[in-house]
Amino acid sequence: MEEVVRIAEEEGVVHKNPIVIEGLPDVGLVGTIAASYIVEKMNYKEIGYIESDLFPPVMVVHEGKLKNPVRIYGNEGVVIVLSEVAIPPGAVYPLTRALADWVKEIGAELVIPITGLPVGNRIDISKPGVFAVGNSEEAVKELEGKQMELLEEGFIAGPYAIMLRECGKRKMNAISLLAQCFPVYPDPGAAASVIESLEKFLKLGIDVKELLERGEEIKLKARDLMRQTALSAPEMQKGVEQDMPIMYR
Amino acid sequence: MGIERRIIRTTWRYDGCLEPLYEMEDKEDEISVTFDLPRVRKENVEINTTENTVEVIARMSDAVCWERWGGIQKRITFQAFRKQIRLPEPIDPEKASASFKNGVLRINLPKVRRKVFIPIE
Repeated sequence: MEEVVRIAEEEGVVHKNPIVIEGLPDVGLVGTIAASYIVEKMNYKEIGYIESDLFPPVMVVHEGKLKNPVRIYGNEGVVIVLSEVAIPPGAVYPLTRALADWVKEIGAELVIPITGLPVGNRIDISKPGVFAVGNSEEAVKELEGKQMELLEEGFIAGPYAIMLRECGKRKMNAISLLAQCFPVYPDPGAAASVIESLEKFLKLGIDVKELLERGEEIKLKARDLMRQTALSAPEMQKGVEQDMPIMYR
Repeated sequence: MGIERRIIRTTWRYDGCLEPLYEMEDKEDEISVTFDLPRVRKENVEINTTENTVEVIARMSDAVCWERWGGIQKRITFQAFRKQIRLPEPIDPEKASASFKNGVLRINLPKVRRKVFIPIE
């Protein structure tokens, strides 16, 4: 049977228990902006792409070269998954299952989906805080050991939420880092906060100064992806992230 | 929406204006609209309201030039954001207020609504 989601890697790519960062479009495009900045700053090479009939029939052209909009970058120790198009809600489950299978196969040490946590008063927050969710006791202990602030109660929704679950089912540790962000405006400030928190897990030594300085330019370029992503937010059940769970104690 | 508009649905215009991202929230007594306006300073924002619409024209401090992009627009420069929004309920333009912080414009538009107290028998 043909695969619903296909992950294609460049020939000769070697993985040595990498840390996998997933930065798919979501609220504030936090993951996408952060992942793109890391790729740029670390000069990571494109090592693969992801295709699916469930994705929109779209390709992207960069410097005259045809590319898949959902791509994989990295080196032996780091893998970054990012997308230049909104992931349709119907593709979230097949995509995350395929990704979880693949990261297991390459022997990933840790999976870190990075994204945003929408807050109504973002305009009044000068430096967005970062919260974390782990998918296992071990992952939570690691977060506590690194003095990360845990998201203790509430719903989480979107590709990162399902990725945490799918990794857990495969006995893989995953943690999600969520920066306070604007719900429907690209948020480079939140992306900078996430990158700073990532340093606790991955010593890349990335300075976010340039990201903050180029914030307005990034916001301008990210408008269309933000709009696409916001359109699928209701179907992605993003609204439940503001709801209180019935079992809240 | 016509077929052409659905295919050529752009968030930019040939007159040098970009359509800003915005969010509208319908509250009990007012409609709150925010606009994301990067590269804009407060003094360069113009807001016009009627009972049913709000329009924002915001000039950027530096023009944006995009090159080597798309089929026909090989080089295009944008100097401003412009957007008119139709409101879901009539508002009182005289009582509207606005604030601008970190590139985000917030406009509060009080609804025109006559409240009638209903006693319980």
